[in-house]
This record gives sequence, structure tokens and C-alpha cells, in this order.
Amino acid sequence: MCIYTIMHSYVFEVLADPSRRKIVETLRAGECAVNDVVARVAIQQSGVSRHLRILMEAGFVQMRPAGTQRLYSLRAEPFRELDTWVALYRNLWETRLDRFGAALERSQQVNRPSQPSRPSQPSRPARPRKKKAA
Amino acid sequence: MKQPLIMERTYRATLDEVWNLWTTADGIESWWGPEGFRVKVRTIDLRAGGALLYEMIAVGEQQIAFMQSAGMPLSTLTTIRYREVHAKTRLAYTTTADFIPGVAPYDVTTLVELHQESNGIRMVLTHDRMHDDIWSQRATMGWESQLQKLNKVFT
Repeated sequence: MCIYTIMHSYVFEVLADPSRRKIVETLRAGECAVNDVVARVAIQQSGVSRHLRILMEAGFVQMRPAGTQRLYSLRAEPFRELDTWVALYRNLWETRLDRFGAALERSQQVNRPSQPSRPSQPSRPARPRKKKAA
Repeated sequence: MKQPLIMERTYRATLDEVWNLWTTADGIESWWGPEGFRVKVRTIDLRAGGALLYEMIAVGEQQIAFMQSAGMPLSTLTTIRYREVHAKTRLAYTTTADFIPGVAPYDVTTLVELHQESNGIRMVLTHDRMHDDIWSQRATMGWESQLQKLNKVFT
């Protein structure tokens, strides 16, 4: 289980870099050669290669040779893992916020019991003025 | 290191009512804590650098049974550390998330932002799982939606 946690924090670190997120965004469109990535993210080739290597080591990206080219694409697993983690944390907070909303309503009933739940009426409704005939 | 979770809700309430639920003993005790636990606030020092100390007490049948079978006390003391306190606008605190089964404890910083809107108070929660030293670098939001977009690619 520790491995699971360590992997998570590494996953976050890898994706924290804006250049790497740009590259990931680019690869969402599908398999790309390095040159295509360079053209789309406006980062020097040496930088792109380095980021691609880091993304590959973290399991986000895979590579396959095609003739003289190397084609890079995204792998689903780490994104699914992130999603699972987020879903778990989100569920915990959804429940808490439901309780927050319920507590808020209770506090309103205690503190202003006479207040109607719908938007409050003006205390002295303005009387419609009769228009005198011109 | 970003933890990609942003949540948003709008409540028909006043700023005071929402803020009090986050920052007063009565308010916190009325909703805080996981399912099946009651919270009793010991001390609140509401300022950047201050702390909230509270007791978390198992009250649900299942939770009591679980704590007993695990040989754990029914009541535990927990601390959260305040990082930013701007009355009725912004509250940030760090807590140690130690309640997720199978996952080792880690720090999470939660930022609460309150916005007065025409239909009530919009409350935005941002949960950042990050180290202290890069808290100030908090920059890119909207992480979760990015993640969802990415996941769509794979479904």
C-alpha cells in the first residue's frame, strides 16, 4: 500500500510541470513524433525529449518505433489511478458538504426563525399609487 | 505538486452564517468530521499560523465497533493549522489526511473562498496536496476538469 501512495505523490510531481502538462495535452490528440510535439508546444527539442523521457518513466507516455521515427502516445493507467484517488477524496467531501448545508439550515432556523425560506418580503410593502387621470 | 480537487457550492445564506460554520466552535461542531463521528472543539486560534484543536469521538454504532475491534480509542485529538485567515472571504488550513484506508497519511491544504452572489454565497473549496514550500506557488487551477478531459480520451 505504501508503494501506491508513493506512486501517487510522484504522479503529482510529474504533472506539476507546466511544460509536461502542455505535452500531455498535445498527446491527447493522438500519437505524435517528437517533431510534431515540438511544433505544437513551442519548447526546444532537447526540452521536449527530456520531458517525454520523464513522462515515460512515470508511465504516462509510451513510445513505439515506426521506421526512422519514434511515436509517442498517452497511457491510460496513471490517469485512471489519479481519477480513482480524486473520486475517493471527492466523495468524502461531498458527504461533508451535505452536512455543511444541513447545519447551515439548522443554524438559520435557530437564529432567524421568523425568516421565511423564500426571499424575504419588504417589511412595508409599497402601496401602489393611484394614478390620477391626466 | 498539485492535488486536483476543486469543489463549489452555493448556499442561500449570509456571509456571516457561512463563515461562522467554518470558524466558530458551535459552527464547526455542527458539521465537521467524518460520518459516524462527533467533533468537540477544544481550542481555536483563528489567525494565520494559529491552530484548531478538536476531539473526534466515534458515535455511530459501526464506527464504535470498528474502533474497538482495531484496539483504537473512541476519541482522538486532531489539529489543523491555519495558513490564511481573511474574515468572510478566505480561509486556508492544512490538515493531515489519515482517514483513507490503505493510504499513508499526508498533508492536504484546503482553501475556502466565499463569494457573495445574487443568489447566495458561492463557496469554492480547493484541496491541494502539496508541500509547504510550494504553497505560495499555487498557480494553475482547474486541474480536475483537465483530468476529466484526459479521462474522456480513454473511455
